[in-house]
Amino acid sequence: MNSFSIPLGASVPFKSVALLDLRESVRARWFLVYLLIFGGAVVILISLGITESQVMGFTGLTRMLITYFQLCIAILPVFILITTVRTVVGERESNVLEYLLSMPIPLGAYYWGKISARFLVVFLPVFAALAFSVAWGTLQNLAVPWQAVSYYTLMLATLSWCFLGLGMLLSTLVRKQEWALGLAFLSWLLLLLFLDAILIGVMLQHKLQEEVIIFISLLNPLQVFRTGAMLLFDPELTILGPASYVILDFFGKQGYLIFCIAYPMLLGWMFSLLGFRLFKKGDLV
Amino acid sequence: MIQLKQVSKNFQRQQVLDRLDLRVKPGDRIALIGQNGAGKTTLIRSLLGQYEHQGTLRVFQKDPRIERVGVLQHVGFVPQHPPPLQMNVGELVTFADSLSEKPLAEKVFELCRELELDLREHSAKPFFKLSGGMKQKLLIALTLGREPELLIMDEPAANLDPSGRKAFFQQLSRFPKSTTMVLSSHRVDELLSLVNRVVEMDCGSIVLDERLNGGISRGRLMDCELTLHEVNDSIRKVLETWQFRNGSGPGRYQGEIAEEDRIRFISAISHFSHHIQELQLGKP
Repeated sequence: MNSFSIPLGASVPFKSVALLDLRESVRARWFLVYLLIFGGAVVILISLGITESQVMGFTGLTRMLITYFQLCIAILPVFILITTVRTVVGERESNVLEYLLSMPIPLGAYYWGKISARFLVVFLPVFAALAFSVAWGTLQNLAVPWQAVSYYTLMLATLSWCFLGLGMLLSTLVRKQEWALGLAFLSWLLLLLFLDAILIGVMLQHKLQEEVIIFISLLNPLQVFRTGAMLLFDPELTILGPASYVILDFFGKQGYLIFCIAYPMLLGWMFSLLGFRLFKKGDLV
Repeated sequence: MIQLKQVSKNFQRQQVLDRLDLRVKPGDRIALIGQNGAGKTTLIRSLLGQYEHQGTLRVFQKDPRIERVGVLQHVGFVPQHPPPLQMNVGELVTFADSLSEKPLAEKVFELCRELELDLREHSAKPFFKLSGGMKQKLLIALTLGREPELLIMDEPAANLDPSGRKAFFQQLSRFPKSTTMVLSSHRVDELLSLVNRVVEMDCGSIVLDERLNGGISRGRLMDCELTLHEVNDSIRKVLETWQFRNGSGPGRYQGEIAEEDRIRFISAISHFSHHIQELQLGKP
């Protein structure tokens, strides 16, 4: 026993932590609420006959997908933030982290195990609801816009990843759950306000060039998701008005679609890597 | 096995560990005592690699902050307060088993049975719904089952009933002599049969580091004089047990203590510390 045997591979603790978090999340009340909201949203959209609606010029499954995606953009980020932001700080406060980290679990296995499990927990129900609506549409002999479905699936995954990363970053940044929750709300509110209200204020006050304002607004992942979702069904982005010229001239349609996936994903990685760095630094508990 | 050189730890401006020097050899069984806020838990967390600190700290010749996993594979830890784990009992055993180098589950069941906890009956219950004593028993079994070379336990017996305590101490006594133990407790008296060294902390410093079997001359007596602010029946009974006599004036007691019993005596009267005005423990 004196000699140090080969340490456990990092994959074993990673799997153990991920499985544990997966099981705990699935049993948690917030997950039930989460399932009800997104499952319920699809059922309500179907039962309200939204596929028959012709507002905005879209009909069938496309119309429903747009509405579902708008709902996701409105609810998903705040839901992910609130449920993720307590992960590390909550376990720190309750001494769960002290106990878990007294076991031979590499810090990376703990952190990435948690984040992977959370990703599955937040993404899979949203994806399942999307899949259900497609299956229902197929049964109803509606045309399935496969390109949009695939793109929305990718966007929902990057939306989840982006806000999951932000949630984990905030969770490692502070030492009190109240602070973490407050910061999560503040971040969400800021992003929401930056969609329109703050941008207009900045533009009026500083008389900035339109291009600068538009590029600032594209730093906001919520704005990116919103415009990316529009682009698929409105190739000229007419809803955006003159801003569409700036965006499409700079990126092109394909380029902007790629940007709408790549940028939030990169942001998610940046947040989560920064969170991991903060988690490892200083006192662990 | 453990080496501390000038280890300090601050939380903001408050110094919690103050230039600690300590060397622990394999087989040392330490009762780590001290009042709340003395720095025991901070020291334990530093040993587990959970805190950054100044100075040099080595466990198995490794820095536990840098080589956490390598160190922790050979360390078992029981926390002071069982954490409110959401997982159920069966999952916790499976989880700990997956991280252990040796098969753990069967051993944990056996150790729990000795501690009078039927794991099969509770395996589907969430851990946080168990009683305080049950949680402690399970955490003890999970730790002892791994047969670590270094056992660190922070108030391990605090939530146990008398029979649980007895079984736990028996389990500890079965460990091989080479196992090193750091047992933090307020009740040093009950640990005395298990330990061979007492380390007392106060305000982040080590104020007493005493080996119990070495350096003590068996049979030698020490004069002791105790002055109390207030005498009540409980303390009087304790002093009578130790054959103390009422001395010159109210509240003054005198007696003799065997040198090897002095820690036990201090521990016995420590429950009445607020009644004690002065304690003189002289050389024989």
